[in-house]
Amino acid sequence: MLTIFAMMMVTTILMNYYRLMAATGDDIASAQDGILATTIATSYMELANGLAFDSYTDTGHVGSSQKSLLTLATNLGRESSYEDSVHKFDDYDDFNGFSIEREAGGTGRRFRTLFTVFYVQPNNVSAYSGNREFVKRMDLKIWRTFPRPEANSRLDTLKVSQVRGYYHFD
Amino acid sequence: MMDVMISMIFGGILLFIVVSANDIAVENQAVYNGDMLVQEMLTATVQLLEGELRNMGFGVPETVPTILTADTSTIVFLTVLNRTATVPDTVRYFIGDTTDLSGTQNERDRLLYRRVNSEKVLSVGTVTVFHLDYITKSGEDLATPVDPGRLAEIHVVDVTIEVQNPHAPYRDANTVKAGQRNALYSSSMWQQTRLASQNSQR
Repeated sequence: MLTIFAMMMVTTILMNYYRLMAATGDDIASAQDGILATTIATSYMELANGLAFDSYTDTGHVGSSQKSLLTLATNLGRESSYEDSVHKFDDYDDFNGFSIEREAGGTGRRFRTLFTVFYVQPNNVSAYSGNREFVKRMDLKIWRTFPRPEANSRLDTLKVSQVRGYYHFD
Repeated sequence: MMDVMISMIFGGILLFIVVSANDIAVENQAVYNGDMLVQEMLTATVQLLEGELRNMGFGVPETVPTILTADTSTIVFLTVLNRTATVPDTVRYFIGDTTDLSGTQNERDRLLYRRVNSEKVLSVGTVTVFHLDYITKSGEDLATPVDPGRLAEIHVVDVTIEVQNPHAPYRDANTVKAGQRNALYSSSMWQQTRLASQNSQR
């Protein structure tokens, strides 16, 4: 009787211990995914920062009283089918609605990124604006597509935002 | 007597389970520690590197080329490190040889070096891979070393860094297959695109 009781106790302790070990392993794997997703996010944000603020400002300047020259909030996105890859984008909002999948640096892990670009209120960059503004926000969502994450993964989707303002020196 | 025999058998089984679990726990703990260590090493190295690459060309006159050398594992560029200075600094990042770290168990790790102007060379981290790719605005991958005549075309620098732990628990020799390494090295990767053009495309 005592032996069986001891066996049950040891089994319980071992089960808990293995669960803890597995959780630690998941946390570390999740941290690695977080690092990779962050590198992807910052890479795209870096590329986006190198582009013009708007398709109009790609070739000209917009004065503070000429907001109406900017792209309509409903038209933010790619201007033509030619802009089918990141390297062909010429302005910040070309990323709007764009989705791309890539492998993270020879790790065998693939991540998909979904972009959303919209105008935000200059005095409150967390608030969406349906009007033309001199401030745009890019939201990125990045998640691992291969190998598919477990249902109970700690990190499912990384969400990152970047705000971009337009200015020029006269 | 029968009870004692059964108890001894169960006791033996329990002892075996506990010893096996302990072995696995020790190995896993070492691997997890290694994983955590390489992630910390990687982020520490990258923080410095990405900050400087971001500021590549800062404060450099428009008529002066920014990137002076662009090779697979070496980059030399100009930037003003001290905001009050007027003369740009020459910053060089390059990778050392594996023999620099022959004292470590990992035969692939090397030091990543940084040198500013003609100051003393400093190591900024331990890496196993430090690979640079250079891409033009039109998306062309430039062959390395980049021809001096095409340095001004560099629009994007792709940085790939891998860090492995210098020491790791050895595997059981019987389980090591051909092509496999004899220790459980942890690895962490970083691949980032850095825009060179903000200050440097000239």
